Amino acid sequence: MNRIVISIFTFFLVNIVGAQDILLEAESFDNPGGWVVDPQFVEQMGSPYLMAHGMGETVQNATTQVSFEKSGQYHIWVRTMNWAPGEWDAPGRFNLKVDDTMLEKALGLRSGWGWEYVGETKIGKNKSAHIELVDLTGFNGRCDAIYFSTSDKEPPSSAKKLAEWRKTVTAESNAPEEIKNYDLVIVGGGIAGCAAAIASAEQGLKIALVHDRPLLGGNASSEIRVHTEGIYGNFERILRMLDTEHYPNGHVEAEIDQEKRDKNVKSYENIDLFLNWRAYDAKAENNTIQYVDARHTSDGKRIRFTAPRFVDSTGDGWIGFWAGAEFSYGRESVDTYDEAWEKHGELWSPKEADNAVMGSSVLWGSKEMETDQDFSEVPWAMPVAKSYKEVKGEWQWEFSRNDLNQIEDAEEIRDHMLRAIYGSFSNAKKEPENAKRKLEWVSYLVGKRESRRLVGDHIFTFKDAVNEIKFPDAVVVEKRAIDVHYQTVLEDENNPDFISEALFYKGIQYYIPYRSLYSKNISNLFMAGRNFSCSHIGLGGPRVMRTTGQMGAAVGFAASLCEKYDVDPRDIYTGYLPEYLELIESQKYRKIPESKK
Amino acid sequence: MRYRLLNLFLFVLWYGNAQFALTDIGGAVLQENGLDRQPEFFNMPWEYGTKLVKKETSMFIEVDSIGKQNIGLLVDQRERPILYVSDIETPVCADGDCKLMNIRLYWTLLGDYAGFDRDSKLPLTKNDHDEFSMADYLKLHLLLTDANSILKQRKIDELIEKPKPSEGNGPDALSGATIKEVKETVVSGALYSCYVAWHLVHGQLNAKLREYTSSQVTDETVFQMLHSANSNYQMFALGRFDEANYKEHYARIANIFETGIPMVRGFICKNLPEKFWKTPKLQNLFWNAFADVDINTRSLLLEHLNSASTETLERISTHLGVMTKNQLKIFLEQIGENGLVEPIRKNLVVFANDEKQTYGYIVNQFLEEYEL
Ligand SMILES: Cc1cc2nc3c(=O)[nH]c(=O)nc-3n(C[C@H](O)[C@H](O)[C@H](O)COP(=O)(O)OP(=O)(O)OC[C@H]3O[C@@H](n4cnc5c(N)ncnc54)[C@H](O)[C@@H]3O)c2cc1C
Repeated sequence: MNRIVISIFTFFLVNIVGAQDILLEAESFDNPGGWVVDPQFVEQMGSPYLMAHGMGETVQNATTQVSFEKSGQYHIWVRTMNWAPGEWDAPGRFNLKVDDTMLEKALGLRSGWGWEYVGETKIGKNKSAHIELVDLTGFNGRCDAIYFSTSDKEPPSSAKKLAEWRKTVTAESNAPEEIKNYDLVIVGGGIAGCAAAIASAEQGLKIALVHDRPLLGGNASSEIRVHTEGIYGNFERILRMLDTEHYPNGHVEAEIDQEKRDKNVKSYENIDLFLNWRAYDAKAENNTIQYVDARHTSDGKRIRFTAPRFVDSTGDGWIGFWAGAEFSYGRESVDTYDEAWEKHGELWSPKEADNAVMGSSVLWGSKEMETDQDFSEVPWAMPVAKSYKEVKGEWQWEFSRNDLNQIEDAEEIRDHMLRAIYGSFSNAKKEPENAKRKLEWVSYLVGKRESRRLVGDHIFTFKDAVNEIKFPDAVVVEKRAIDVHYQTVLEDENNPDFISEALFYKGIQYYIPYRSLYSKNISNLFMAGRNFSCSHIGLGGPRVMRTTGQMGAAVGFAASLCEKYDVDPRDIYTGYLPEYLELIESQKYRKIPESKK
Repeated sequence: MRYRLLNLFLFVLWYGNAQFALTDIGGAVLQENGLDRQPEFFNMPWEYGTKLVKKETSMFIEVDSIGKQNIGLLVDQRERPILYVSDIETPVCADGDCKLMNIRLYWTLLGDYAGFDRDSKLPLTKNDHDEFSMADYLKLHLLLTDANSILKQRKIDELIEKPKPSEGNGPDALSGATIKEVKETVVSGALYSCYVAWHLVHGQLNAKLREYTSSQVTDETVFQMLHSANSNYQMFALGRFDEANYKEHYARIANIFETGIPMVRGFICKNLPEKFWKTPKLQNLFWNAFADVDINTRSLLLEHLNSASTETLERISTHLGVMTKNQLKIFLEQIGENGLVEPIRKNLVVFANDEKQTYGYIVNQFLEEYEL
């Protein structure tokens, strides 16, 4: 179903004009063709959008049918953005086709998200039109929405005004009409969220797992393709249902593990999976979350999720953020938690706090074909790639800069990486040895390492790891080295700004206490995954996905005890710790039910 | 990284050629107690006529089956510490066949690799017992210079076979490394020697050397470090400075701010004493570099925008094009708060009307809203 909204605007101008208008959300097209739905930046630019991610080859048209209330002459605007503006043709150009007419104006030309005027069209007596988005480049043209109006007044562009305008045009009520109640609502279906879902479902809780992608696993999914590192700790049985083999990052084998993971999570009847649903708000009263609101990423439907307790495993700490949970971002000063490592000094932990964090990556690869392969010129990529040449990208393709926030500026970060990739590949293609190379896969999802870290009763730090403190409530255990990344451009300005380096600290074994897995000030909020309670360096070790999976499982079991005694997460530590630890111990040996053998 | 290595490689080639002209292949016989010529493979500057004398320290490297190898400190004629040195003899074993490797290694005062000398009588050899060629030595130098070499996180057996999935110890940062990449960085036919040498140079010792220096360093050496082109030296010096030092050396510090690497610039910007931000004269040298420093440093400078004088803001308004989107927003917010003065407004208008400026639209929006 199309998400089309018809409303009648009355403008009190000198003469009163009644205008017909329709807002057509691109992500709700009947058939997206080769365009992908990108819901990653909703909080910043306002909506999921369609993107022509063709890796240099034009993608198939996205098509849809629109019905109008009245026939007549309509002005058309498209909400779009030139994602690499400069002295070259915009990389992501596209056209709009209405019925059989290709409207001449090339779109995707403006700097910053906003409306581009396309032209006028006549809607005939059948009051219907067939719309197509026609990609012209294969390089990430993007369309958020199409607006038809009999008035020639352009819709607002600024984020705030646009959001209000959208609400008016769509006549959307403040609250979702549908309300669903669960024992536990888990938002974010990375390895952490999935593990939390399985653990709590095994204990009989009714779970909603809300995830904004079609596939589970977050960074480990076949859409991003990072393999899982770390040990299983206390949760081998559960984590084996979710993790990956050790293939190089970006490897196509991720698809095999994807199947396993999806199948396993779906096998639990008491997990209601909300795939392609993105949470957009959480409301706390008296420091207790009342509900989480989510929207379907393409049809726009909304649901309000209520539950006594919630898990934030979004990686970005969104639920905590909306609910008013304390959080941190950036690097603490070296003295804050005594995290010095002489050897790497300022690169490891700075004398003065700052907002540097580990960066985000876009993984990619190419393959040899039988015949020569062309690759278009990409002048718009060159200011980023410069003379760098590569035919694949691994973890080191990472971007972080102190003027960019890993959440608020994630689209710019992703786009910077796309320019780095296309430019480096184009440089590599100039070498005769790469004549037969073709881009095989470039993710359009930005894989993040670090952003908001929600604050719990305990903040896990480097010192906890170095001293191998065995907390009484140690529920997660890890042996993997602690590694923290920095951008190599900090050491030499001539280095590309999209390549990082890792600093490793090898310890023996360290523990994460349960107290780092629930919010300090929001009484019914757990967190699992890279947004758990830790310092910047503290995140260096446990951000990998078997460790985050351990956190998820630990949280899932704690949630089942919270449900059993009707208490808050903190009370498990203060009042039920022995029983909790026993539960963790006993679940290790859980028998496999006949039905699952 | 590839960039860095390439530059270095070119440098080494050039340097290597220069060396050929000075000494015969085979090198000078090493002096027991000091050094009066630049080490043959060397990353630090060397002033003509320098004479260094070796002093023993209590530090040593423990080498398998051979035992302790002492670390010496090379001091100049004024007794100032310059380098650490060790004459190493160590077994290198490949497939059960062991031979001795002799090499003289040098470290900086902070424990970084500085260079090496080969022993003219006991050259390095490869698996097939062929001697290293000059190109091989240069490749070894290049490898040792890379503190983040691919050899760093690997056990030797992981370099020969395809790395197996390792539980617990395979970091985020290992996965893509292939044997091919190892081959590119090591001397062919001498993987074991390269591996042993790299781990000798970059092993546990680094921290010890640094500590040793820290424990006895004099002000004179610290100031010398500040004037060095070595960024780790600069950082070390700056890290020990108090407000008085910053003031005393402010010209040199401003000079490093202009010419140094981004990490050092960032450190300076974050650690300049408050007094600097209250005194226009002291700030100016730093603001002057605004258009030329890297983006990260520029962001850090912008954090002090509220201490900048109107003249400084005016000057910055002629450099709007170097700013990123977010930096431009910060700048506009500040001048909005201060009140828009005419010269700045003029510059904004010019920028906003320049079609080549990607973020002209942001300035336009600002002007529209400001003038409302
Ligand atoms: C290139 C790269 C290489 C890495 N290498 C490794 C490695 O080799 N091994 C390893 O184990 N780790 C590695 N890491 C680190 C690891 O992948 C991350 O730390 C990971 O984010 C941790 O998992 P998570 O479950 O916390 O979060 P994620 O995997 O990020 O999962 C969170 C999920 O929540 C979803 N979500 C976010 N907001 C919402 C919302 N509002 N509503 C609904 N859903 C939402 C997101 O789409 C996402 O899929 C790497 C990371 C990168 C980027």
